[in-house]
Amino acid sequence: MTHAVKFHPGMMLMEQYVEGTLAADVAIAVATHIDLCPHCQQLCQDLHNDKGAQLAELTPAVSNNAAEFADMLSFITSQAPELKAARKTDAESVTVTFNNREFKIPRALSRMAEQHGKWLQLGGIATAKLPAGEKLHVSLLYIDKGTEIPNHTHLGMELTLVLSGRICDENGEYGAGDLLINSPDDTHTPHTRVDEDCLCLSVLSAPLKFNKGLVRLLNPLQQFFY
Amino acid sequence: MLESTALTGHHATSQATPRMPDRMTISAEPHIRSGQWEDALTYVAVNADKAAYAELFSYFAPRLKAFGMKMFGNEQQALEMVQDTMLNVWKKASLFDASRGCASTWIFTIARNVRFDMLRKKQSRKDDVSADDLWADGDYPEQEESASDKWETMLMSEKLAPHFDALPPAQRLVMQKVYIEEKSHQEVSDELDIPLGTVKSRIRLALDRLREALDDTRS
Repeated sequence: MTHAVKFHPGMMLMEQYVEGTLAADVAIAVATHIDLCPHCQQLCQDLHNDKGAQLAELTPAVSNNAAEFADMLSFITSQAPELKAARKTDAESVTVTFNNREFKIPRALSRMAEQHGKWLQLGGIATAKLPAGEKLHVSLLYIDKGTEIPNHTHLGMELTLVLSGRICDENGEYGAGDLLINSPDDTHTPHTRVDEDCLCLSVLSAPLKFNKGLVRLLNPLQQFFY
Repeated sequence: MLESTALTGHHATSQATPRMPDRMTISAEPHIRSGQWEDALTYVAVNADKAAYAELFSYFAPRLKAFGMKMFGNEQQALEMVQDTMLNVWKKASLFDASRGCASTWIFTIARNVRFDMLRKKQSRKDDVSADDLWADGDYPEQEESASDKWETMLMSEKLAPHFDALPPAQRLVMQKVYIEEKSHQEVSDELDIPLGTVKSRIRLALDRLREALDDTRS
């Protein structure tokens, strides 16, 4: 059964993604969402058409140097065209294996996922860092069946993209392709169902803060999730 | 007294000059024939046609420079982006596929990728995110139109009126012609002198914006 993606990036994120102005670490999550979401594939194509039309409708820049474009034109046409330019070929699909489970990774995330760091495990939860990350921390997050992530608040932005399986929190249920964005001050207790595990892409701008009872003791370990 | 006369005089003058209509009009330059750039790219791809390329270049290079100035705020980088973009257009014209979109869309994606990689290059990290990771080569399967259909019936609903006014002008204009003036997509394309694909894209974008205004599943 295919899961209909229900939670999408907002229009503003989509526009910034298409413009190329979105931070790369967030853009990689949006690109991966698009790989999984036919609706946003169409939206993305439409936004590209619109940006293309806007480019064609721009007022040309004035030039102080009349020769500037003439020189550029003669330089370019002196180069040999690639009569059979190579189209990007689809690399073989990448999989990530953990807990004896093999997960297929969407195209956009493939190159990153191949370079994931060592899995660090704590109970039913495991994370592996990805080599993106400028200001943000990007990792794969595996949550075993019937596991709850303790109630936590986000000190920064938390962006979670479900890659496989299903996860629930107080606000709903999320399947492959669904994108959850939690801002600072949002509090939630995500958990998996007893019969289904879950692999997510997680992008964090600051560590999590655990709120309740003994798990507050996890706070010194918050680097684990970060 | 003198001042107020001067003001009145000025006002009268400005009234005498023909004023632009308030409604935003969008049109391509009159001498651009629909399909012209797509044809030019084909000539470049097949024959390395320098004359066809020169026409493309003289239209797009100054517009790309304007785009680059907006994005970089710096003439040198803007020109570097123009040169890399137009060089790719020349060298890789055989990759252009008109069935996937207009020439302007293709040129925009090249410029966007060139700019993105220029900005990342400074950090020179081998494992860094690249434009190739982020933007697929347009290889997604075609979608059926049905997704937007069910929203079309909601357009009459009064709830949408304030959101309709908040649409970007280019999208609002197309929506107005299709849904209020009840014109066909082709008629709107002819009237505004924009490609049919752009009309359809703008309608879907507007429908998506309206949908977003009504529900909160987009975070």
